[in-house]
Amino acid sequence: MIIITILEFLLIAIFAMALGLLFMGIARKVVARTQKRIGPPFYQPYLDVLKLFGKDAITHGFIFDFGAIMAFGGMIATLFFVPIGSIYLYSMSGTLLLVIYLMAIAYLGMAMATVGSGNPLASVGISRALTQMLGYEMPFIVVLLTLIYSSGSSSIVGIMQAQQGGFMNWNLINVPLGTLVAFIALLGLMGKKPFDAPIAPSEIASGPVVEHGGKYLGLLMLQHAVSIVVKTALFVNLFFGGASNILFFLLKMLLVWLLATLIGSVFPRFKVEEGVLFYWKWPLIGALIQAVIIIF
Amino acid sequence: MSLSQIIIIPIIISIFTYLISKKFKTAGSLINIILSGYILYTITNIYGKWDILSQSLNINIMGNNFNFILNNSPLAWLLGIMTVGSVFLISIFSVSSQKNINNAASFSFLFSILMGSILGVVFAGDLMTLFIFWELMTWSSFFLISSGKKEGAKKASYRYLILSTIGAYLMITSIFIIYSQINTLEFTQVANYLQSIPALNSIILIIMMGIPFLIKTGVFPVHVWVNGAHSNAPKEFSPFLSGMMLKIGTYGLMLLLYLVPLYNILDTSIKFRGLPIFNYILALFGGITIITGTILAIRQEDVKKLVAFSSISQMGYIVMALAITTPLGFTGGLLHLMNHMIFKTTIFLTMAAVIYRTNTTKMSEMGGLIFRMPVTFAAYLTAIIALAGIPPTNGFISKWVIYQALIQKGYIFLSVAAFFGSIGSFMYVFKPLSTVFLGQLKPIHKDIKEVPFLMQIPMYILMALMVLFGVLPGIQMNIINQIARYLNIETVQSTLYTITGAYGAWNSLIIFNVFVGGFLLALIIFVFAKKSELVGLMDTYTSGEYMDDPEAYHYAYKYYRPFDRIFDSFAAKSLTRAYDTFARNITKLGNLLGKTIVTGNGQSYAFYMILLMVILAFAGWMV
Repeated sequence: MIIITILEFLLIAIFAMALGLLFMGIARKVVARTQKRIGPPFYQPYLDVLKLFGKDAITHGFIFDFGAIMAFGGMIATLFFVPIGSIYLYSMSGTLLLVIYLMAIAYLGMAMATVGSGNPLASVGISRALTQMLGYEMPFIVVLLTLIYSSGSSSIVGIMQAQQGGFMNWNLINVPLGTLVAFIALLGLMGKKPFDAPIAPSEIASGPVVEHGGKYLGLLMLQHAVSIVVKTALFVNLFFGGASNILFFLLKMLLVWLLATLIGSVFPRFKVEEGVLFYWKWPLIGALIQAVIIIF
Repeated sequence: MSLSQIIIIPIIISIFTYLISKKFKTAGSLINIILSGYILYTITNIYGKWDILSQSLNINIMGNNFNFILNNSPLAWLLGIMTVGSVFLISIFSVSSQKNINNAASFSFLFSILMGSILGVVFAGDLMTLFIFWELMTWSSFFLISSGKKEGAKKASYRYLILSTIGAYLMITSIFIIYSQINTLEFTQVANYLQSIPALNSIILIIMMGIPFLIKTGVFPVHVWVNGAHSNAPKEFSPFLSGMMLKIGTYGLMLLLYLVPLYNILDTSIKFRGLPIFNYILALFGGITIITGTILAIRQEDVKKLVAFSSISQMGYIVMALAITTPLGFTGGLLHLMNHMIFKTTIFLTMAAVIYRTNTTKMSEMGGLIFRMPVTFAAYLTAIIALAGIPPTNGFISKWVIYQALIQKGYIFLSVAAFFGSIGSFMYVFKPLSTVFLGQLKPIHKDIKEVPFLMQIPMYILMALMVLFGVLPGIQMNIINQIARYLNIETVQSTLYTITGAYGAWNSLIIFNVFVGGFLLALIIFVFAKKSELVGLMDTYTSGEYMDDPEAYHYAYKYYRPFDRIFDSFAAKSLTRAYDTFARNITKLGNLLGKTIVTGNGQSYAFYMILLMVILAFAGWMV
C-alpha cells in the first residue's frame, strides 16, 4: 500500500516536471515567433536541465543548499493538492487556501537561498518579489474567497465539481469579472512580462537566481517547471471547470499558458510600486465588485 | 495549593528575590525559575477542577460588603498556564543574559510580582478582584518598561501609564455604578444585570469596561503605546510584554463578549450579515489594526519596533476573530492567541539573543549572523514560518480557522484585511531574516559566538511546541472545546489532527506527510547530483566591480523602499504625534490657567475662598 503511494507520488512528480519543462520549451518557441526569431527547439529545457545537473557548481554555505531544497520540496508538496485532470493523490477538503500558503514555502526557500548567497542584487530581487506578491495576492484572494463562498467548498476538487455539466456552468461564465482579475493576478503569480520586476534581467542581473549555477539552477528550473503546472492547473480547475479527461485538461492548461505567454511577450515592464498600485486599483476593484455581486 | 496561594506566593517571594539578587545577580532569575516551575506544576495539577476550587473573602468597608472571589475556569486555567510557562522560559533565558545588567534585581522582583498579578487577573471571579490585580499588573509592568536602557524608555512607559490610567478610571467608574445597583460584582450576576437593564445603558457600561481591555490589547486607535513600550523595554521583558501582556487585554474582551452575551443585549439592534453592529465595528477595528500594524512594521529599521508592530497586527486577528462570536471565530481567536504567544515569544527571544551579542537593535548594523548563531537562526526561522502562517507549523492552522469563520459569514472586507496582514507578514518577517541573519557578516561581528546554552533551551522548547501544535492541533482544540462548553458556545468538531471548518476540514497529518515527501525528493535529487564547491559570501557576481568591503556590500537599509514609497504620506500622519500634539495643547492650556489663577498674590487666594463659600452657601440654599 505504502509502496503504491510512493510510486504514485514519484510518477506525478516526474510527470509534472516533464510537463512543465515542455511548457517552458513551447513558451520559448512562441516568444521567439512573436519576435520573428526561429527560437530553440521545444525540447531545449530538457537539455538545459540535464546539462545543469552535470555541471560543477559553487555554494555559499548551508542555507544556500537548504533553501534550494526547500524551494523544490515545497513546490512538489503543493503539486499533490492540485488535481490534474482526474489525477490527484490527496483530495482533502479545504485545499484551496492551503495551496496558496504551501506555495509560500517554496518562495521562502528560494528567498532564503538567494539572499543567503550574499549578493545584494539577489536581495533587491527578493524585496521586489515580496512587494509585488502583496500586490497580486490581494485581488486574487478576494476572487478565491468569492469562489469558495459561491460553490460552498474550500477544496479545489469541490469547486471543480460545482462547475460540472457543460460550458455554461464554468466559473468563466458565472464569475466573468473574477476570472479576468484572476488571470491578471496569474500573470503576476508567474512573473510574466508586465510584472517581471523581481527578475528584471537588464537591471538586477536576473535578481534572485544571480548566484545560482549547476545543480542549484537545475533545481530552481525544475521548481519553476512544477510551479507552471501547479498555477495553470489551479486556474483551469477554478475557472475552466477542470476536466475528467486528462487530454482535455492538458489542452486547457496549454491554452492558459499560451495566453499568458503571448501577453507577456508584448508588454514592457512595470516599475515595482507601479505594479502593486495597478493591482490595488482595477483588479482589486473588479474583484470586490464581483464579490459583492456574488455574496449580497 | 489553593488559588489564593498561587497568586500571593509570587508576590511575597518577590521581596526576598529582590534582596537576594541585590547581592548575587543571577540569583533572581534562578529563584524565578524555581518559583514559576513550582507554580507551573501546581497549575497543571488543578486542570479539570473547574469551579470546585473557588474561594471567597468577605470584607466590610464602611458598611459596604465586598466579596472577593477567586475561581478556576478553563479559560482562566489556559491563560494562567501560558503566563507561568512564559515566565518560566524567559527566566531560564535571563539567567545568562542578565549577568551584566545593573538592574537585574529589580527586573526579577517586578517580574515575579507581575506573574502573581496576572494570575490574579485571570483567576478573579468578580470585577473588584480583577480590578485590583489589573492595577498591580499595570504598575509592575510600567516599572519594568521604564527600566529599559534606551533613551525613549521613560517617554514610552509614560505613554503606557497614561493610557492605562484613563482605562482604569473608566473601569472603576463602571464597576461602582454596577455595584451601587446590585451590591455584588460576581461575574455571572453582573452579566445578568447587564442583560436586564435597557440596551443603551448596558452598552455604555460595556464600552467603559472594554476600553481598558482594548488599550491593553493594543487595538487601533489606542495602539500607540505598544511600539514604544516593546522597543524600549528590557530585551528580556519584550517577549513577555508581547507574548502574554497583550493577551490579558484579550482575556478581558473575551469576558465581555462571551460571559456577558452581547448577542442577547444587542439582539434588537442593527445587524450586519447577522452580526450586531457593535460586534462588527469591533471586528472592523481589528481589521484596521491588522492593516496599520502591517504597513508600519514593513517600514521599520529597528528590529524590536518591527516585531512590536507585527504584534499589533497579529492582535488585530485575535480581536477580529473573537468579535465575530461564531464557534469558528471563537476557536480561531483562541487558537491564534495561543499560537501568537508561542511564536512571538520565540521571535522576541531570538532578537534578545541577537541584541545580547551585537548590542544594537538597528537591522542595518547587523548581517550574516547565521553562521555564527545557527540555533538562534533556526528558532527565528521556525517562528516566522509560523507567524506568516505557512504549514506545517501552528500559525497556519489558527489563520485557516479564522479565514473559515470570515468566509462562512461572507465578510469580504474583513477578509481583505486579514489577507493583507498575512501576505504583508511575509514581507516584514523576511526583513530581519535577510538583514540580520543572511547577507554579509560585518567585520566587527567576526568573533561573535552562539549564545550560552541556557539561552538556547527556551528556543528549543518553543521550536518543538510550534511544530507539535502544527501537526497535532487537537491538543489545543481539547482545551478550547472545554472553554467553549464552559461558556455555553457550540464547539467545533475536531480530532487529534483534524479540524472541521465551515467549508471543509483540515488534516494536518496529510500535509505533514506530503511536505516530508516533497522535501525528501528534493533532498535525494540534491544529494545525488554532483557535489558543489564552497566559496565565501564575498565571492559573488558583481558585474565586474571589485568589492572588498562587506559592510557596503550588504543590502539592508530601507529594504522595501518601493513599497514604503506608496505609504509615505500615510505613515506621515502619525496617530502618536496627533496624541502628543493634543497633550501639548492641554499642557499649554494648563499653563495658561495656572498663570491667571495661581497669581502668588494672597489677596486673590482669599478671594477664591470667599467665592467658594458663596457658591457652597448658594448651593445649600438651592437644595
